[in-house]
Amino acid sequence: MRLPGTRYQEHGWEQVRKLLGQCSLQAFGHLDAALLLGAECEQSLAAYVEGVAPLLQAAGARGQEAGNSYGDSVAELALTLVFELQARPADWRALCAAVATEHARVGAFWSRPGGEAQLRKKFNDLYAVLRDKVDSDNYQVACGRACSPNRIYAYRMLDTAYHELARLFAAWHQHLEEVGAVLGRSILALPIEARQLRSIADCRPEWILRWSESQARFAGAPGPLHTRSKRFAALKDNPARIGAMLREIGDYEQLSANADRDWLQDREDAGAWLDDYWRVLGESESGVTPGPDQILEAQQDQLAAGEPAPPVAPEAAAADAAEATQLLLAPQQLSVAPDYLSAAAAAEDRASWAAQQMADHSLPVRLAVYLKLLGPFDDSYPSEWLGGASGELPTMQQLAVLDGVSLPTLRKRRDAAIAHLNAAPAPGAATEEKRQWA
Amino acid sequence: MGMTQLDRKLHARLLLGGRIEGDRLLLGDAILAAALDGSRALTAGERAALQASPLTLRRFRQLAAARRQNAAPAWSGSHGLLRAADSGGGFALLETDDGMWRLHVVDSGGKLGVILQLDPQAPGAAQILDRRVDVVVRDGAGAIVLKGCLDADGECEGPWPFAAAPAAHFQQHGARFDVTPIA
Repeated sequence: MRLPGTRYQEHGWEQVRKLLGQCSLQAFGHLDAALLLGAECEQSLAAYVEGVAPLLQAAGARGQEAGNSYGDSVAELALTLVFELQARPADWRALCAAVATEHARVGAFWSRPGGEAQLRKKFNDLYAVLRDKVDSDNYQVACGRACSPNRIYAYRMLDTAYHELARLFAAWHQHLEEVGAVLGRSILALPIEARQLRSIADCRPEWILRWSESQARFAGAPGPLHTRSKRFAALKDNPARIGAMLREIGDYEQLSANADRDWLQDREDAGAWLDDYWRVLGESESGVTPGPDQILEAQQDQLAAGEPAPPVAPEAAAADAAEATQLLLAPQQLSVAPDYLSAAAAAEDRASWAAQQMADHSLPVRLAVYLKLLGPFDDSYPSEWLGGASGELPTMQQLAVLDGVSLPTLRKRRDAAIAHLNAAPAPGAATEEKRQWA
Repeated sequence: MGMTQLDRKLHARLLLGGRIEGDRLLLGDAILAAALDGSRALTAGERAALQASPLTLRRFRQLAAARRQNAAPAWSGSHGLLRAADSGGGFALLETDDGMWRLHVVDSGGKLGVILQLDPQAPGAAQILDRRVDVVVRDGAGAIVLKGCLDADGECEGPWPFAAAPAAHFQQHGARFDVTPIA
């Protein structure tokens, strides 16, 4: 399923989920899972991100597969989700809490037989929730309409139901009773509806409702709109709303099959929009727009209530283990070239905004800030900075050695420098003043 | 204190990279669009909302980028060169330097035809397609190779107008071609 802005809603998600599970477990082969029980969630999250990111980058053929139809690979999608996690410590705390609960019950479960699958499932659950949060944000950014993770899940449920219906219609002669229940009449010959159903936009809401209702009879378990859960209560009695959602999926499917470049804009980081942003702030500060403020009310989306998407079945987590192969990382060198720091310092533009704002911090800390915010490689980095393996910035461990401090200390200093940057006056405004003065 | 390219990237990431639990769109598209086109500045409260909500700011960026894209100057023409590798035998395809157009020569039953094709992914292609622009293709000497109106698929087709074979003809006439809109 494709929707505006979303990246994690197509079949490739299964591969992203598996890769994240595999690499997370492997990262905890190097880290101690007991780290998750510690009080310092921020440190364990940082250690996890630093451990899992290089594994994802080294994922080879599986990582290079297409993860969606916009051209994002499985590894790229997994990495993006890890970086989203980095900015969402509450989700990490939920994982830590789930691990702690299990630990309180049975002790260090991860080192017991079958314990790996349990730990993998915790990560599966974490990312299952996160992907819908990220995609509901992406959707809101792409179309300016409110959306919730549960709404994304509801779209996906309807999309899955449609595909199930389409499968039944295509093989109608083998499913006379089921198709009859969906269409509300007995089927004697090829139903015209089966020929007319070409896309999800053609799918009628009452078919979905009747299909869900008949699942108890034909599949042995109630359909998604007829379980006891209140999750889709807002849809159950509202065919008009179901119809609108089906059409939205179908319309966007058609549009995006032709030309969809919205998602590309998301990657363009140093875009001209910053100039617009500074101008708009400046005009607002010097403007005298009469009130009141026109701030949007929080919308009452009935779909927003309720539980998030159900977690992945434990069997899936266990099955993943069978496929997992150990990813091989090139052995990490701890030292970089002896003259690295002096060369890197000479190449730094000391007059730049960031260098000035972070002047009180050491060069390794400043480099750690770039590493966290822009990643190990960016084409704006001076080549002298790229002294790490395969032409990238040194790793956090290498930077800690260069700075003569422990890794946790470097992380703390880095985060303090980022907090300082965040509080710094808008650089655009500063440039503006300079221009007026000159 | 100057803003280098790297500063801009870093600053953009600082602005957009934050995530706030329960963040939502705080300003409507109309308010953001009016601030962008200068017709109504944000109030102090709205400015604070924009600065406090990474999600709203991401929407702002999306609208700002779309606005800049629409404001981009309309297409006024493209040109392409006959590549050295094409100088020998025949050729089947030429492309303009901006990647917007492809020129195919096809042989249908012994008659050469020429097809101009717009790449729908090229920047500005959508506007060209919407307006169903009339286009003309000229060789390096200015002689018309093809002239007509784009169809719904962004294509225009006609017979090969010269006696000489395409590769030889282009070679003798400046080894280039131009695609321009007919005003």
